Amino acid sequence: MRMGDNLIVMLQGDLEDGTVEQVEREVTEEVARTQAKGALIDVSGLSVVDSFVARIISRIAAMIRLLGSEATIVGIQPAVALTLVELGVPLKHVATALNAEQGMARLQGRSRERA
Amino acid sequence: MSPVAEKTAQVVPIAAEADLLRVRSALRAEAQEAGLNLTAVTKLVTAGSELARNIFRYATHGQGVARIERAEEDGRRGVRVTFEDSGPGIADLDEAMRDGYSTAGSLGLGLPGSRRLVDEFSIDSQVGRGTTVMIMQWSR
Amino acid sequence: MQVALDSELAFYRQMVDSINDYEVVRLDETGTVRTWHEGAERLYGYQAREIVGRPMSVVYTEDEIRDGRPGFDMRTAAENGQCVTEGYRVRKDGSQFWASVTLTPIRGAGGTLYGYVRVTRDHTERREQELEMRAVERMLDAITDYEVIRLDADGMIRSWSPGAERLKQYTAEEVIGHHVSMFRLEEDIHNGLPERELASAARIGRLESEGWRLRKDGSRFWASTIVSPINDESGELTGYVSVGRDLSEKRAQEQLVQRQQEEILELSTPVIQVWDKVLVLPIIGTLDSARAARLTEGLLERIAVEQAEVAILDVSGVPAVDTEVAQHLLKTVEAARLMGAVSVLSGVRPETAQAIVHLGIDLGTLRSRSNLKEALQLALTLVGAAPILAAATGV
Repeated sequence: MRMGDNLIVMLQGDLEDGTVEQVEREVTEEVARTQAKGALIDVSGLSVVDSFVARIISRIAAMIRLLGSEATIVGIQPAVALTLVELGVPLKHVATALNAEQGMARLQGRSRERA
Repeated sequence: MSPVAEKTAQVVPIAAEADLLRVRSALRAEAQEAGLNLTAVTKLVTAGSELARNIFRYATHGQGVARIERAEEDGRRGVRVTFEDSGPGIADLDEAMRDGYSTAGSLGLGLPGSRRLVDEFSIDSQVGRGTTVMIMQWSR
Repeated sequence: MQVALDSELAFYRQMVDSINDYEVVRLDETGTVRTWHEGAERLYGYQAREIVGRPMSVVYTEDEIRDGRPGFDMRTAAENGQCVTEGYRVRKDGSQFWASVTLTPIRGAGGTLYGYVRVTRDHTERREQELEMRAVERMLDAITDYEVIRLDADGMIRSWSPGAERLKQYTAEEVIGHHVSMFRLEEDIHNGLPERELASAARIGRLESEGWRLRKDGSRFWASTIVSPINDESGELTGYVSVGRDLSEKRAQEQLVQRQQEEILELSTPVIQVWDKVLVLPIIGTLDSARAARLTEGLLERIAVEQAEVAILDVSGVPAVDTEVAQHLLKTVEAARLMGAVSVLSGVRPETAQAIVHLGIDLGTLRSRSNLKEALQLALTLVGAAPILAAATGV
């Protein structure tokens, strides 16, 4: 999904081993193709994020960054945020925002800084 | 004084990836019925997902079960989940329960993480026989 | 022709002798017993020599004999090809049992009636069960506070009660034949809860549960339900009985108490919105893990609701910051960050600063200010409101 110079990736439902690779492939292809400046990974639809899913999100963010874009995770639900912190999954180096709006603002702010 | 509820043990077999979803759904339903708040529910379901995934990934033929029961104590209700598998077993439990334990390049079994998410946690494992993990989450 | 008939019957006899649950008897065209076998002997108590040559009507009750029932059954069978009846049959000792009887005419090649084959099955137990159930149902019908519903083995509604109508607002015609899950919430149906409950009841013999149910007008009520399986004499599941009552009042009370408790707790952990997108969480007093958890959950909820970008955690009211408190603060900060909110620590006193450093806790990039005012200024800068304020106050 495109929005201006940026891409929005929606992760919903249940990510299982089968679909993960497909999602990763699609995202990286889209980012490369559109040369999006930034990508928002929207996880507001995920009510449970275990370490497996967290690692996938982390990987997708890393792939996006390697392609020269900014990656921001948006929409982590309060209960999920708490759970992730307790679990101790390493999501420390990924940018986050509350919702798409804030995420966009941050991406735009950053691209302004870069320009 | 309401009659004591029967303890219904739901047994969810874990043999295929689709069973992870079933475990999560069943846990969520039981936890909500037991009156756990959203954070407690999320933590329980997440811990359950971790443990179920372990069974699916590492146990022999990826087979095991999750036993879900409701419990009551001193007026508060809770959910007890027991994960049993007849997998290879864990050689060094202390090591496994320590943060940072890692096998096969992944982040290990996520056991310490799961333990932090629930009110009660116990694990028993024998090499060559299998592993049993019991977790409990209570309502406030 | 007689030869052919006899060989057919010989075959029948072989087949019949191997059946034990049933009694198969051959009658001639007048209804006189011609063959009798072991099962029949067990059922009726008559030995073969005692009954062969006598009319079958001896096993009918007196009332039925008076009403001409034996002959009526034979005529019905002759006309329609078969006659199935249920009723009391009389044993040799005079005792009665409830039986299901099938009478089938035997005809020769030209259509001549040679006699009848009579198959009887003892349904006493089932009849007793049914009568008992009906008596119980009548009794329960008198109770309007409860609903009593009977289901078949698949969970389809077979009987309804006045109590059920009162509770759920549906009439019997509207529900009979439908699945019992029609009263459940969509999310429960989606999660397969009704099926699991029935399966549980069948397994353990009784299932008591509480949950939401829907009335005809769409409103919902909290119900307490007991489901019991009904098995036939061979132990097979034939259906369920569900008894339920409305717990709304009890639940309303419970919820009220719960809400009151929550409000009390809320009062001691208020999250204040001081500016657009800036929240302050004043932490006062000692923190036990339950209270700390509540604080964090409350803050995160508010961040989500107010769409806050900055959370100021004011610890000036915390007398002693130990490892646990510090850990908890860090977790709160990290969780807030995952939600896109930046945290600022405020009210850190010299003792607190010393304690934290001595504990070896690394607060990382967490910003900290000694008092709330400064923390606020920092927060406003972070959300981009500082320039506006500066202009307004002429700073």
